[in-house]
Amino acid sequence: MSAPASRLVDLGQGRRIEVLSAGSGAPLLFLHGAGGVPQWEGVLPILSSSFTVHAPLLPGYGQSVGLEALDDHFDLFFHCFDVMEALGLERPYVVGESLGGWIAAEMAALRPKEISRLALAAPIGLWRDAAPVVDIFGYTTHELVPFLFHDTTCPAAQMMLGVGAMLSDKDDRTEAQVEFLLALGRGFKTAAKFLFPIPDRGLERRLHRITAPTLVVWGTEDRLVQPLYGKIFVEKIRGARLLTIPKAGHLICAEQPEPYGRALVAFGRGEQPR
Amino acid sequence: MKLSWFHLMPWRWLPDDFRDRYHSVWVDLPNRLYDPERGHRLYNEYLDMLEYADQMGFDAVGVNEHHQNAYGMMPSPNIMAGALARRTKNAMLLVLGNSIALYNPPIRVAEEFAMLDVISGGRLIAGFPVGTSMDTNYCYGENPATLRDKYHEAHDLIIKAWAEREPFPWNGKYTKLRYVNLWPQPIQKPHPPIWVPGLGSLETWDFCLDHDYNYSYLSFSGYRRAQKMMDGYWEHAVKRGKSENPHRGAFFQQICVSDTDAQCEQEWWPHVDYFFNRCLHLYPGTSGAPGYMSEASLRAGIVAQVGNTSQNMGMNKTWKELCEQRYIVAGSPATVRQQLEELAKSLRVGHLAIGAHIGSAPIELTNRSTYLFATQVMPHLRPIFSEYEDIAWPKALPEEKRAQPGAQSAAVKTAAERKVGAAA
Repeated sequence: MSAPASRLVDLGQGRRIEVLSAGSGAPLLFLHGAGGVPQWEGVLPILSSSFTVHAPLLPGYGQSVGLEALDDHFDLFFHCFDVMEALGLERPYVVGESLGGWIAAEMAALRPKEISRLALAAPIGLWRDAAPVVDIFGYTTHELVPFLFHDTTCPAAQMMLGVGAMLSDKDDRTEAQVEFLLALGRGFKTAAKFLFPIPDRGLERRLHRITAPTLVVWGTEDRLVQPLYGKIFVEKIRGARLLTIPKAGHLICAEQPEPYGRALVAFGRGEQPR
Repeated sequence: MKLSWFHLMPWRWLPDDFRDRYHSVWVDLPNRLYDPERGHRLYNEYLDMLEYADQMGFDAVGVNEHHQNAYGMMPSPNIMAGALARRTKNAMLLVLGNSIALYNPPIRVAEEFAMLDVISGGRLIAGFPVGTSMDTNYCYGENPATLRDKYHEAHDLIIKAWAEREPFPWNGKYTKLRYVNLWPQPIQKPHPPIWVPGLGSLETWDFCLDHDYNYSYLSFSGYRRAQKMMDGYWEHAVKRGKSENPHRGAFFQQICVSDTDAQCEQEWWPHVDYFFNRCLHLYPGTSGAPGYMSEASLRAGIVAQVGNTSQNMGMNKTWKELCEQRYIVAGSPATVRQQLEELAKSLRVGHLAIGAHIGSAPIELTNRSTYLFATQVMPHLRPIFSEYEDIAWPKALPEEKRAQPGAQSAAVKTAAERKVGAAA
């Protein structure tokens, strides 16, 4: 699999966005979760074998800057439409994971005609008191990992625990580690700006506006955003289908990229997922 | 130098196995550990300590603001200051809350501080802390990415509300008000002195220097560990072309005074132990929400010291270590005097806020320490830096212009309770 091309797109008002692109075929807009796109792996290579995948990074992630230009969540949603326009994407297939899933759903509700298909992987954005979404800003990395993964021995979980160890070590970090931690902090600041302290900005009132064919994907072992939320999404979005993936936690892409990727490709092509 | 007597007001009854059973003293510590009847006696005992400090001639009595914790039970410092305004006579009121970004609209702070200044006859020192991330983000739900921006807007609004004599509109990003028209106005003009507590971030230094506010370094790790930080502050002030007037700086130091050094350890160790090993038991997962610190501060922190909080905070140390490393300044009056003279000169601070109540200490012990400090330590510290004008001190009404709380009650009572038909 080839590395994606990275380019910077100037959107005005101090916003300069890094966009990762790869593959060929119909346009697919990929909206990342709170962890950003640290590597082109997991589901991304699978999607780019069938689609032209564009993964813009939100301000604060990668080389993207301009968070100051986005005061509230509506600024954020319109920012993503600006990205779509700047990339010349006509009615793309939009795939969003977690934070990105929320943004994707909001975009599809705001301008239903501009999105051809919608896939939401463990999106946030809804709230039920009986099943509170875990506070991703209120735990040490070490304690957050079991909420994110079904199998905490998997490589992605182990990598995250390594980052946690980097934070608790003292005074012996390399310059590269310092920069890495600061970059993480920048991304999380963006996530916090739109999600803190409760990740609910009223999406539920707008879900009924979505007209794009929609696939909702959930890991059966998601302990961060419980699978109960998947049911609410498909109840509120007309015609939406729910696909649950066993042995996957919140980060489906990290634990089960194959079945997850295949389902996204099939759905994007208009096939019935198996 | 000026000596303020500062209270943290911790909860006194955290269990012995507190650290094993609970992950933090703050944010999500279940309030079933709180007992309102004990709380009633404790608040009053704590206020008595502050009143005693006024009687013993301290320059100010101090309170602060924290939320949802057993470390300091003053969610509203203004209520404490209101109680003290009537029951203290000479001491200034050092109110090192309000975290101004937490109040909607922020003119609530302008109003309450004005009330305190008026009730107390101009004795108010107005503290504008940003507030810890635990208080502001996790307890009060303020967005960490915008907290400081909101703080600055609230500051500008409050200062303008204190200065303007005609109603004005305020079209801010966080606050929109058609009519800002503050009643009452503070006695002190243009406004009470403002102190900003900080932990060493460059932005806070600049903010204080820009406005000539006092920068208060509130640390529990003592004056020796503060040296680098305060040196940096003074260097920064000089670089900015500001005077090195020591009254631009304040420092918080916990102290215990007993008759002798040996007696001090014996009397105070259980309470000091309680403070460092229970009251400062904090969970790192809620120590700083993403965006709470600026990137520059984060960089400095990551490079220098982030992640070793519990070690710097004085946990698991012996009495000897805490004393030697000056987390606490403890001992006989002579010992304490000598160390605080060193503190004043090494940090170059014209204001010292002492924490003379520590942890679980009862009033008898605390007041003894206060007494010894006031009579045998304070007189030696007062002359330090007296050659500098105190630019951070209230300009209270002179004694003869101040109301005497309760003084008229006898005459008023006689008139009110006269016989029906009798002349007033």
